[in-house]
Amino acid sequence: MPRRVAIIATGQTKHAARRLDVNIAELITEAVTRALQDADLTMRDIDAVLLGNMEPFEGFLFPELWAVEGWGGYMKPSVKFNTGGTVGTTTAIAAYYYVASGIYDTVMAIGFQKQSEGHTQTAITTVGDPIWERSVMAGAIGNFAVMATTYMHESGVTEEQAAKVAVKARRNACLNEYAHLQMPDITVEDVLKSEMLAYPVKRLDMCPQSDGAVAVIFAEESKAQRLAPRPAWIKAVATAHEQQYMGDSPKRLAEMRSLIAASRRAYQAAGITNPRRELDVAEIYEVASFAELAMYENLGFCERGEGGKLIDAGVTELTGELPVNPSGGVLSTNPIGATALIRVAEAALQIMGKAGRRQVEGARTALATGYGGNAWTDILILSREKP
Amino acid sequence: MSEWIVRQKIRIPFQYTTGRALTRFLTGLAECRIWATRCAECARVYVPPRSFCGRCWREITEWRELPAEGEVMSYTVRPADPPLILGLIRLDGADTALVHRLGEVEPEELERVVRVRAVWREDRTGSILDIAYFAPVR
Amino acid sequence: MDRHPHPESREAVSREETTLRVPFLLDVEYRYAVGQYGRRFFTELRDHARLMGVRCPECERVYVPPRPVCGICYHELHEWVEVGPEGTIVGWTVVRIPFIDPMTGEQRPVPYGFAIIRLDGAATSLYHFLDETDERKIRVGQRVRAVFREKREGSLRDILHFRLLEE
Repeated sequence: MPRRVAIIATGQTKHAARRLDVNIAELITEAVTRALQDADLTMRDIDAVLLGNMEPFEGFLFPELWAVEGWGGYMKPSVKFNTGGTVGTTTAIAAYYYVASGIYDTVMAIGFQKQSEGHTQTAITTVGDPIWERSVMAGAIGNFAVMATTYMHESGVTEEQAAKVAVKARRNACLNEYAHLQMPDITVEDVLKSEMLAYPVKRLDMCPQSDGAVAVIFAEESKAQRLAPRPAWIKAVATAHEQQYMGDSPKRLAEMRSLIAASRRAYQAAGITNPRRELDVAEIYEVASFAELAMYENLGFCERGEGGKLIDAGVTELTGELPVNPSGGVLSTNPIGATALIRVAEAALQIMGKAGRRQVEGARTALATGYGGNAWTDILILSREKP
Repeated sequence: MSEWIVRQKIRIPFQYTTGRALTRFLTGLAECRIWATRCAECARVYVPPRSFCGRCWREITEWRELPAEGEVMSYTVRPADPPLILGLIRLDGADTALVHRLGEVEPEELERVVRVRAVWREDRTGSILDIAYFAPVR
Repeated sequence: MDRHPHPESREAVSREETTLRVPFLLDVEYRYAVGQYGRRFFTELRDHARLMGVRCPECERVYVPPRPVCGICYHELHEWVEVGPEGTIVGWTVVRIPFIDPMTGEQRPVPYGFAIIRLDGAATSLYHFLDETDERKIRVGQRVRAVFREKREGSLRDILHFRLLEE
């Protein structure tokens, strides 16, 4: 039987387009220091440290080696993870396994990225197969755009509906002191008129590139109860991986097979039958406005083809029935290696009642997702109640 | 079965942000000065300097200037013409060692070299290569 | 001795002028073994301008790129079948944002048409270029045909692009 595990503390940097005041190790230290302060712990209280980063977006390999003294791994059990967009949730789920196994009591998961140092569009192309994909890949945005047109065709979603997602994200971000893109006055019109990057994706439909780090502390039951007034218990975790080549799942937005598989497994484990009613808040990995609408459908928040109607009806606004990304989401903050772990941290803050101005009142059950790699999905469900 | 090998390359430009401590170190090199930091808890003197001691998990705020002279801890020679000699050099007062080139010395003399000093370039830009190489103190 | 920003310090964000940025280039050459399935595909493409896939005996999916095992049935794949050269657009875009091609270090010229194409007879799709950059002229479900280069070397770029077919 796995032990009960809870998140007891989180720490984030101020995320920004360029954090030129710090190098990578110093950036990570900021987040780790804040997480330790949040739990009133020192690095000596941490049994193991897990680090997440997407290499080689800064041009380096082995950041765990040359930044080790910045992330607290010195002489501690530690592993570095690199699974693409999912890296943050992979690291979180690994931290859960470390504690649930009974081998470690207190484990820290860290994610970071300093996108200002590299070329994300270019680096991401190197994730493609050298002969089948790399020579024709069109960067993150071009690859995303071809999926978006499929999704629009299948669901009838419009550019206006997608723009509403972009507006919601940047307005919510104004309530989050750590968020990168805060745009209180943004309108649907602004999104539609922003520069066309690759049809139908315009600049404001897309996530930014950010510098930032996040740290989350996981603890076993007795420690969690002692150290946190209201721990965020891990109710369920699930992962699912897709096929080998990008073209193996051509309808990657219209039909997100790994998201469907992982979420249904997690719902079952958490005893959730109606996610829209039973979840209080969701922090999902939406790299672009269109993706959020497709995720509503694939996560079962609405029927297939109804994603656009959900945003029209305001269901996922901060004041709606099921707020999605009160933090501002990936559309507001995207230091890739940290991004999915930020979803987990934000979901935990909601359960712990520490989300400040973006708090969803009375949140008891929260969903966090990671999405990336070759259409891989990670899911965590956090709860105020013990599993 | 025959092979089919594709030759390709990855070519991507990057920019590394030096951050709090390294910025001062590199700026100092342009002025022929070597800056280190010292952890108040473990008293370890770091060069290149860092702003945080990962062992003690505390911020470092104490700066000290080190002499541009120290001991060769180890070396290696890459055969070339002229040979490339790399040394691990611990500056006087430091607890860590720098990797740099050794010059004004033949490979066969290395065995006897203990003390070295920095030889500065004329055109310094704020780079570790502002030190052209370390030469034996004779 | 020095004004040293504390990790908690918010003002630190704006102290850009005190930071150095060191440019460097990641420049790595490597060799990639195409493998036996790729070898056969690229030989057919180079010598006969023919596109080939492999069929799973269990689920009957035809895979392009060809591969040794069906990831769904875990069945070995041995039956080669010709696919295309015509196909259908599953998803498309016109890339207008310039970015550096990691294989050259140079910017890839924009705009260009880009699509997910399901070749006739295949269960999976290929990503490739389109010969059209006018967004109003491309749609999901449109028929396309591979245009092969005269001089082929055994790479996916032996297909110059996919041409939109008149309907």
